[in-house]
Amino acid sequence: MALTSLWRRTRPFDRVVVLLLFILCAVLFVVLRPGPPGRRVVVEAAGRVVFTAPLDQDRSFIVTGPLGETRLAIRHGSVCIEASPCPHRVCLGMGAITRSGEILACVPNGVLVRITGTASTGDRTEPYDLLSR
Amino acid sequence: MSTRRLLHLLVLLLLATALGAACKSQGAPAKLVEVRRSQLLMGTVVEIIARGPDRPRLETAVDGAFAELARIEKLMEPHGLDSDVGRLFKAGIFLEVSPDTAAVIAQGLKVATASGGVFDMGLGRLKELWDIEGEHPQPPSAAAIAQALAGTGLGDLQLNGRVVQKRDPGLVVDLGGIAKGYGIDRAIGVLAAAGVEHASINAGGDIRLLGNRGNRPWRIGIQHPRHPGEILATIDLADTAVVTSGDYERFYERDGVRYHHLFDPRTGQPGRLCQSVTVVAPEAVLADALATAVFILGPQAGLELLARFRGVEGLIVAADGTSVTTPGLADQVKWR
Repeated sequence: MALTSLWRRTRPFDRVVVLLLFILCAVLFVVLRPGPPGRRVVVEAAGRVVFTAPLDQDRSFIVTGPLGETRLAIRHGSVCIEASPCPHRVCLGMGAITRSGEILACVPNGVLVRITGTASTGDRTEPYDLLSR
Repeated sequence: MSTRRLLHLLVLLLLATALGAACKSQGAPAKLVEVRRSQLLMGTVVEIIARGPDRPRLETAVDGAFAELARIEKLMEPHGLDSDVGRLFKAGIFLEVSPDTAAVIAQGLKVATASGGVFDMGLGRLKELWDIEGEHPQPPSAAAIAQALAGTGLGDLQLNGRVVQKRDPGLVVDLGGIAKGYGIDRAIGVLAAAGVEHASINAGGDIRLLGNRGNRPWRIGIQHPRHPGEILATIDLADTAVVTSGDYERFYERDGVRYHHLFDPRTGQPGRLCQSVTVVAPEAVLADALATAVFILGPQAGLELLARFRGVEGLIVAADGTSVTTPGLADQVKWR
């Protein structure tokens, strides 16, 4: 009620000013808001990006390296190596990765899988930045 | 004051606040952006993180750092036809090598001498014999080990300027325990020369840091040697190198005995006194060599060795799982 009464007492110029204020707020919101997370799986073979896909769309993909075919699967927001021709299958034992910045690698077959996205550090839960092992 | 004037004042105040916020956003100190890229190099995943206000500059610097790592890899790959290590394999007694390879060997020889020869760059034949990462590794016979150790030991390699001298023409030089550290030292130099102030390079757990993370030190997690996926401790560090050597990365087990890739040149067997050794040093090439040497020497002699190097600290997990640190690291380690 108080607002209605106030609005009635305004002149056209006042209303223009209020309108400009709203427009300014809308512009600032669009310009200054953070971007969407947009996490993606990026696969490299022999140092070149050979495949990239959103992490939220299930699919599988085969990468060919010097030893043969490495099969990757994106399932339920995570990616893992499902099959590999490498001798020790260390890459299979690395399990699935879900967070931006995490990496899977099959060194013998030259395949590197990582998750990228603007949420790269915001969603990390590890209590460290780098792991020495 | 009339209601209209009050309204005008309120609107102007809101406009001023909004404009002020926008101006502050534009005029604030530049926000740090992060470039994070990985490549397979030197037999492992190398990840470079560079942080700064200027993304194009960071991208260019990271390109240069990876190129430098690739150059060092080519020089020191074990079986490269044109690599210095490959040429050393084929060489008789003397061979002139590149300044980079000479620098690596010089640093390795310092640690070899200080450690009484337990760090040995002439163990290539022994490593091939054990073939820890092969498809069907088996512990070799004592005779085969003795044969692989022939010609090794203190003085097996000497360096005069850029000329390497092998005591035995059959000596197989292996820089695997030290070249990766040298590579990341060189790469961090490229980043620094390009004006990057905050960066890290992680080559399969061998880490070199440039500056801090931007607003705080880098927090380094140390892998637990017996619980995969868990960390033993964290250490906050800046502008230094951290390298961990352990018996849990490359190993196999037979009859309850763990056979791993860190060999004692005195016996030809995998070292048995430690589970893991983490060394913090000004340069990764030094940390790399010292971590291997301390792993073989064990906690007591290892701490004594570390004390002989300025600016070097360490965390040692002994074979029984107990941990010790150098005095300088004791207050910095946060156990998990």
